[in-house]
Amino acid sequence: MKRSWFAYPYSLWMVIFTIAPMIFVVYFALTDTSGALSLSNMAAVGQETYLKILWRSLYLALICTVICLLLGYPAAYFLASKDFNKNQTLFVLILLPMWMNFLLRTYAMMSLMENQGIINTLLKAMGLEPVRMIGTEGAVLVGMVYNFLPFMVLPVHTSLKKMDQRVIEAAEDLGANPAQVFRRVTLPLSMPGVISGVTMVFMPAVTTFAISRLLGSGNFMMFGDLIDKQFLELNNWHFGSSLSLIMMALIIISISLLNKADPKGEGSAI
Amino acid sequence: MIEDTHLIELKGVSRTFGTTQALKDINLYIRKREFVTLLGPSGCGKTTMLRIIGGFEYADEGQVLFEGKDIANVPPYKRRINTVFQKYALFTHLNVYDNIAFGLTLKKMPKDEIARRVGRMLRLVKMEGYEKRGVDSLSGGQQQRIAIARALVNEPEVLLLDEPLGALDLKLRREMQLELKSMQQQLGITFIYVTHDQEEALTMSDTVVVMNHGCIQQIGDPKRIYDEPKNAFVADFIGESNIISGVMIRDELCEMFGQEFPCVDEGFAPNEPVDIVVRPEDVMVVGEDVGQLTGEVASVIFKGVHYEMMIRTEAFAWKVHSTTMQPVGTRVGLTIVPFNIHIMHKAGGQ
Repeated sequence: MKRSWFAYPYSLWMVIFTIAPMIFVVYFALTDTSGALSLSNMAAVGQETYLKILWRSLYLALICTVICLLLGYPAAYFLASKDFNKNQTLFVLILLPMWMNFLLRTYAMMSLMENQGIINTLLKAMGLEPVRMIGTEGAVLVGMVYNFLPFMVLPVHTSLKKMDQRVIEAAEDLGANPAQVFRRVTLPLSMPGVISGVTMVFMPAVTTFAISRLLGSGNFMMFGDLIDKQFLELNNWHFGSSLSLIMMALIIISISLLNKADPKGEGSAI
Repeated sequence: MIEDTHLIELKGVSRTFGTTQALKDINLYIRKREFVTLLGPSGCGKTTMLRIIGGFEYADEGQVLFEGKDIANVPPYKRRINTVFQKYALFTHLNVYDNIAFGLTLKKMPKDEIARRVGRMLRLVKMEGYEKRGVDSLSGGQQQRIAIARALVNEPEVLLLDEPLGALDLKLRREMQLELKSMQQQLGITFIYVTHDQEEALTMSDTVVVMNHGCIQQIGDPKRIYDEPKNAFVADFIGESNIISGVMIRDELCEMFGQEFPCVDEGFAPNEPVDIVVRPEDVMVVGEDVGQLTGEVASVIFKGVHYEMMIRTEAFAWKVHSTTMQPVGTRVGLTIVPFNIHIMHKAGGQ
């Protein structure tokens, strides 16, 4: 019996919900309201306002990825270490946010950071000046890092965990002190995990929406918000599709760059 | 070649993991330029002992001395000891050249000196021309050679080898055994070699340390270990043996199956119960009427150089190796010369 038909249901699903929509996106992006072929919508993406939003998205996503890496790598390193095997609590705590819808989490962040929110109420109770958090770039970043951090920790943890302990011993044996072992062996061998983590944080971060709207009070519109707005508020499917097409192109370029850094696909996030 | 200085000395070393005692009061010295093999079945503590010498494991009790100094607090990267790991543990993110150069670059050696030494090592292990290859693309035997080169290039005082030939096929194993031995002699480095393969131990070593259940059973050169096993465990583990429970009547006379046999051992208590060991090649098949024992051939297996026969006497089935074959069912006589009867104290008694 051929097993290839096991994949048919999924293939059907993919055709209906991935391939067909993509064709629509390309169609809408390259036509105008009359249905005639037109590059005017694509050209409109080049306006300064939109480029600024695109730049902001890339910039915030990059910062978010860097912060996730700086927070996530040490955490993953600790979680994968020998000293830690006994207790799984911390691991669960890191994973816990992933089990909840990200909108719920973001609403929770909102109520924490609002001007009359929990943090400011506490500050006032302690006799301190309240801090304006909501509506700042910092709040958006905190929201993004909070949402995407587990996607950095997990792949890095996996790559560290499956690393052969003897390779570390071999490096020590050959004269490497702990810092040298890390820099010359542990870090390079965990690169597939890092690349996978960077991919899994950067991609959703650059296309994110709602976080910036809820925590940035609309002051920091991102590319995802812009696309969202074209479709749902302004009903301009043609321009929305053009924006989406540009976004997809950017993602494909980023992935191929990252794959070059991990040619064997050992991290294999995508 | 071997110098009479104690390069490494273990004094009363013990190590316990949870409830199992991996090493019990180990006392052993290793001389400069010696090829020492730690031999024993899996779980006998030989790898733990190697890891303690390498610095990857510590001793709960006792001391490990290197040139007379306690090295308990010296981390592995400061010991003048290098290791060839079981399954090699090569750096998969580096090519062959960088794997071998790893230790030298850490020492901040000039680049041309590194190139010279790596080149010499590649010649020694016969892997010239593989510098730029990734280690994943190499066969088991080739990876093995790189692992040896990576350790030897640092010119260590001692090289530890943890079952380094375990993953290779028989032919390659034999080749590598001889090569390792000649490298050791050529470089004059002390080798401590861990294996469970008795043939390997006998082929390569100056000294064999037989271990079981965390204790040293016997230390000696290969010939002595084979010819004069100290107890039934060693006799059984090294080569094949017929082990018979008997009694030592007096010096130079023992009894098995109610029958007296002259032997050459002395110094046992009168009528002490003992283990009597006879190697299969030392049992001589003779005519039925002239043997000390008579029996019938129960099975014959062709082993290449010799035949292995099971010969059943009234009380015991003897394993016999002989170059001449007797058909199954033949009645034969068996004779054992006194020199080939090895008497051992019963385990636990002394």
